Amino acid sequence: MIEITIPKLGLTMENAKVVEWKFISGDAVKKGDTVLIIETEKVSFEVPSPADGIIHPIVSEGSICAVEEIVGYVAQDREEYERLVTKYPTVDSSMDRDEGALRPPETPPSLLAGNDAPGDRSKLRIKASPLARAMAASHNLNLAAIEGSGPGGRIVRADILRAIEQQHAAFQRELPAPPGPLDLYDRQSIEKEIMESVPFRGIRKAISDNMYQSLSQSAQLTLHTEAGAGALIDLRERLSTSERKVSFNAILVKIAAMALRQHPRLNATLQGDAILVWKQIHIGIAMEAKDALIVPVTRNPDLKSIREIDEEITELVAKTRENRLSPDDMSNGTFTISNLGFADIDHFTPIIRPPESAILGVGRITRKPVVQGDQVVPEPRIGLSLTFDHRIIDGAPAARFLKTIREMIEEPVLMVC
Amino acid sequence: MTHRIMSCSEALAEALLEEMERDDSVFIIGEDIRAHDGIFGQFRGLPKRFPARVIDTPISETCIVGAGLGAALTGMRPLVDMHFADFFTTAMDEIVNQTAKIRYMFGGQAKVPMVIWAPDGGGLRAGAHHSQSLESWFVHTPGLKVVVPSEPADVKGLMKSAIRDDDPVIFFQHKKLFAQTGHVPQEEYLIPIGKGEIKREGAHITLITYSRMTYLCLEAADLLAQEDIEAEVIDLRTLKPLDFDIISRSVKKTYNALVVHEACLTGGFGAEIAARIGEELFDYLDAPVARIGAKDVPVPFSPVMEDFVLPQVADIVESVRKILNRQ
Repeated sequence: MIEITIPKLGLTMENAKVVEWKFISGDAVKKGDTVLIIETEKVSFEVPSPADGIIHPIVSEGSICAVEEIVGYVAQDREEYERLVTKYPTVDSSMDRDEGALRPPETPPSLLAGNDAPGDRSKLRIKASPLARAMAASHNLNLAAIEGSGPGGRIVRADILRAIEQQHAAFQRELPAPPGPLDLYDRQSIEKEIMESVPFRGIRKAISDNMYQSLSQSAQLTLHTEAGAGALIDLRERLSTSERKVSFNAILVKIAAMALRQHPRLNATLQGDAILVWKQIHIGIAMEAKDALIVPVTRNPDLKSIREIDEEITELVAKTRENRLSPDDMSNGTFTISNLGFADIDHFTPIIRPPESAILGVGRITRKPVVQGDQVVPEPRIGLSLTFDHRIIDGAPAARFLKTIREMIEEPVLMVC
Repeated sequence: MTHRIMSCSEALAEALLEEMERDDSVFIIGEDIRAHDGIFGQFRGLPKRFPARVIDTPISETCIVGAGLGAALTGMRPLVDMHFADFFTTAMDEIVNQTAKIRYMFGGQAKVPMVIWAPDGGGLRAGAHHSQSLESWFVHTPGLKVVVPSEPADVKGLMKSAIRDDDPVIFFQHKKLFAQTGHVPQEEYLIPIGKGEIKREGAHITLITYSRMTYLCLEAADLLAQEDIEAEVIDLRTLKPLDFDIISRSVKKTYNALVVHEACLTGGFGAEIAARIGEELFDYLDAPVARIGAKDVPVPFSPVMEDFVLPQVADIVESVRKILNRQ
């Protein structure tokens, strides 16, 4: 038998939550199949089966397990599986999975594979045609819940088709009406009805906890300003080549890093009775992943060129998109940049990501009338918002930090001063 | 393509006429074939048309097959008439140990382009010595091709392919089908050895059969249609090489299979087909593959007993009902 363990996804990872088993005890799995979803505070991760065989989870969903802890086994054959079952009693598969929202209560719950007590499966020989078995497997149906109409009660194709139809009909009943023209709804209705119930757990819950902790346990204040973006645009053009266009974010990360070097107190954390000012600068960039805010971190941008930072960001974006960020990609940030310019936002009040103490919100670049001498001239402008923790950073130093950023944007040469 | 109605005998005679006209090396050798144009009229007109190329022999199958083999080895394309498939027994050494193996034992330097033509099957009240279906013996002998057509068009097209084939072909033709008529294309055509044909399409069960049982299966399919069972009928036409693709495609559609042959059940070719379906199409099966064959006794002379021993349409209908659980 081969062990399924909690993988160490990064240097800082210590434990993970067993969120969901994709198979139940007794199921055949293939090497590489996703058998388990685990979640750290920062990422969720699909654990692949280490081998072909029969799976036997020994840790129930919801448990917190240490890195390298054994959470299940893959048996190589039935015999080995039986021994495993005797040795490690089957864990409850809560099956309280989020498809539950879609799963109709009318469906006999046992119709779906995995609801039978897995231990019984070996004792109970269900008669089913090979075709029926193959179909049940591909439709995730539990044969034990299906009555066979074939010779000697054998489950045959017709029985599976019936079960699929039942299930389908039940789903149909449960699915919310497709959003149609408004006149399909009763305009007089005073009811409020649930259209969708989104699971609140995992990464969603983690974001909630962080944001709530941030706003409830620190004293946040946001300053707004604006910078002329002409030089920034010009710098970006100069750094870009025909093959590679450098992003504004790369330049802004560099600027923020150089500004932090001049204002180290913003690169700090309040811990107990000390303000810890960090030696390294690691700047997180807020990104939108599938249904969640993710903040991968660029490392030591003060020591890197803008092009290097740009490459680092490009890699982080790709990892985010492909859902392969590791906890190490997100740990130990000291400052964050959140850019909502893509959505035509000018200013906003970003929320600090604890234990950091400041975050820079970046708005859109847009042409605005600017008074120069006695003339009103059009100039590209960029919105800047700095939220900081007033417990450890006073208004004036924070304002000076933001001013430094504004100056560096307007005169990038100041970065090397 | 224009068609004519012809019997299997006429179709065979036409195939031989065309091939003998096309190729001087084709000749026919056997017993009593000049005087009566073949005992089933299968060589009608040929002795007159090709006096030197339809050769009567003494009553010795050993000698006939041996002569055919020698001729084939020296560049001729003989058609050996076995008279009845039952007489294969006296030529088995020539067929199994010589004909089938020579190409291999000579390292490919010799070939045996010979057709051994053998009327087989029962139902003619001809007794145990004239009613056998022996195809499994030859399917079980590597080096031989085995052809078992049913309808006239297939007889003609397959015979022409068999004559042109450079390897020995055992060509069975069911005695009860000589008078069976069917459409035969006007134009020249060949039917490749090793290709089955769906003779009737259906969605619920695949009847895999060949030779005379094709007609019984089609009759059974008509009856089953009245019960809303659509049976697909595959006429294999060739047993070796076997067209398993056509079986596979059909079973993947119907999920049920019944093999029907007239040869006795035990050790019959149905066992081979059932085993391959079990191995290769397991996940597509909604019921065990069933077989129908003759009962394991010598075919009786008594008509009542012969009908009892050989598969009948009712047996096929009953078996299908059982497979589909429609009792």
